[in-house]
Amino acid sequence: MPTAPAIRLSGVSKRYAAASPVVLDGIDLTVAPGEFVCLLGASGCGKSTLLGIIACLDTASAGTVEVEGRAAVMFQEASLLPWLSARRNVELALRLGRADLPRPARRARALELLDLVNLADAAEKRPHELSGGMRQRVALARALAQDREVLLMDEPFAALDAITRDLLHEELERVWRETGRTIVFVTHNVREAARLGQRVLLMSSRPGRIVNEWRVADDAPRRIESPQVSALSVEITEQLRREILRNAA
Amino acid sequence: MPPETLVAASAAAADTHADDLRTLEAGLDRLQTDVERPLPWWRRAIDGVLPPVLLVIVLLAAWQAYTVIAQPRPDLAPGPLDVAAALGEAWNDGRLQLAVATSLERGILGFLIAVAVGTPLGLLLAEWAPLRRALGPLISGLQVLPSVAWVPAAILWFGLSDATVYFVVLMGAIPSIVNGLVAGVAQVPPQLRRVGRVLGASRLELATSVVLPAALPGYLAGLKQGWAFSWRSLMAAEIIAFGGSIGFGLGSLLQQGRDLADLAGVLGTILVILALGIVIELLVFAPVERGLLRRRGLTGGTP
Repeated sequence: MPTAPAIRLSGVSKRYAAASPVVLDGIDLTVAPGEFVCLLGASGCGKSTLLGIIACLDTASAGTVEVEGRAAVMFQEASLLPWLSARRNVELALRLGRADLPRPARRARALELLDLVNLADAAEKRPHELSGGMRQRVALARALAQDREVLLMDEPFAALDAITRDLLHEELERVWRETGRTIVFVTHNVREAARLGQRVLLMSSRPGRIVNEWRVADDAPRRIESPQVSALSVEITEQLRREILRNAA
Repeated sequence: MPPETLVAASAAAADTHADDLRTLEAGLDRLQTDVERPLPWWRRAIDGVLPPVLLVIVLLAAWQAYTVIAQPRPDLAPGPLDVAAALGEAWNDGRLQLAVATSLERGILGFLIAVAVGTPLGLLLAEWAPLRRALGPLISGLQVLPSVAWVPAAILWFGLSDATVYFVVLMGAIPSIVNGLVAGVAQVPPQLRRVGRVLGASRLELATSVVLPAALPGYLAGLKQGWAFSWRSLMAAEIIAFGGSIGFGLGSLLQQGRDLADLAGVLGTILVILALGIVIELLVFAPVERGLLRRRGLTGGTP
């Protein structure tokens, strides 16, 4: 049975000024509800711009953007409010996004979400008392608090060490399966994309276009060190290098 | 194996996997965060209070030793005991208490009025760029202009009355408070505003829930400077504007000491003014600032 897509972009183009170069050129993208899509590309290919357009933080110069409900966004920095505890940070998202929820219910819901990302014990800690990985998990709980169908993630683990990132991949995969969110995950890390996505989209640079896509069989739990992930990474990296070489000529 | 058992087994495996992840994550969290163990309050009090108190005792002892050994003219270089005697005399005839009460009352009242005027003005400037561009340089200029410069004009406008004193205090304090608030808002990381918008905050919610709390440290710095400028301006105004219906403040006490060539009294008054400034800083601003910075993980220059 065909269902309405969570995100549908058609012919989306972006240039920042009339005379400036084209950043995004005719992007067509459909994401099904509950799908996990990784958007992969070299720095400066416009993948963050595209994410910003889907998040309504930016507008497209041409084309149409349809998003089911509005999207929640997670950034590379956790961007927590430093004067609020982890719980109050999550509560703020509940207060701003769902005004109908009374205060005790907000508190309970915030604790529930922090427990989902395995931070129930750190609820009363302030951001500066948490490690980078814990801060990103609070940011994930905050994004989930908005209760939106679509979750956009802009290189959320890029600033973390490899061990933490590896655990957060598992964490994110688990949260995705439990909550059934639609996730668009932007990254410049090929292995990360091959590890996480059900579908990996490769973007070229200048102008930004989607040049290839891979579907990943999602039958068994993957690991960053799985042979399946390695094989796909090799394949994607080869094409990524060809795209970069085009720019050298 | 019947299929049900297989399903149950794989579900159990998934459960243990989730539990493993939890434990693993908890271990990593513990490795990556260190527990702060705060010093007991008496230790912090000793660490903070002892060094300055010792310094004061050493300075007083050196001063007294100089007067005993070098025997300077007491009217040009009075010793600490002479100064204490002069203060005691002023206390006995009630001038000291009157002066401290008058000055503190004016300083605090003037500062509060400056806060009440400066805060909305600062918010308006911070959130409305055209006004900031127009008025910003003027406010910065006023901050540089010594507010004593207003005393002659204020005397001509308001005569020798309390209004003169308050006018000078406000001209000293308001620009600092406005500038502090504007700087505090300007230093709010743009990313926090972006997050606020992503979370669905309206303009008002963004201001009250994100921008204002984020600007608090800058605002507090402005308030501190505003208080310092109020206190200085007040002393200057009290020294220059003497008599009329103006009450008797610490500046007046200084001026009276000069007229009587009473150097011990003048030095004593200076010490009282200094001590009051320190007490207000230690009792009011320092605890607020320390709490504010500690909550945000910004431990300032002082431990």
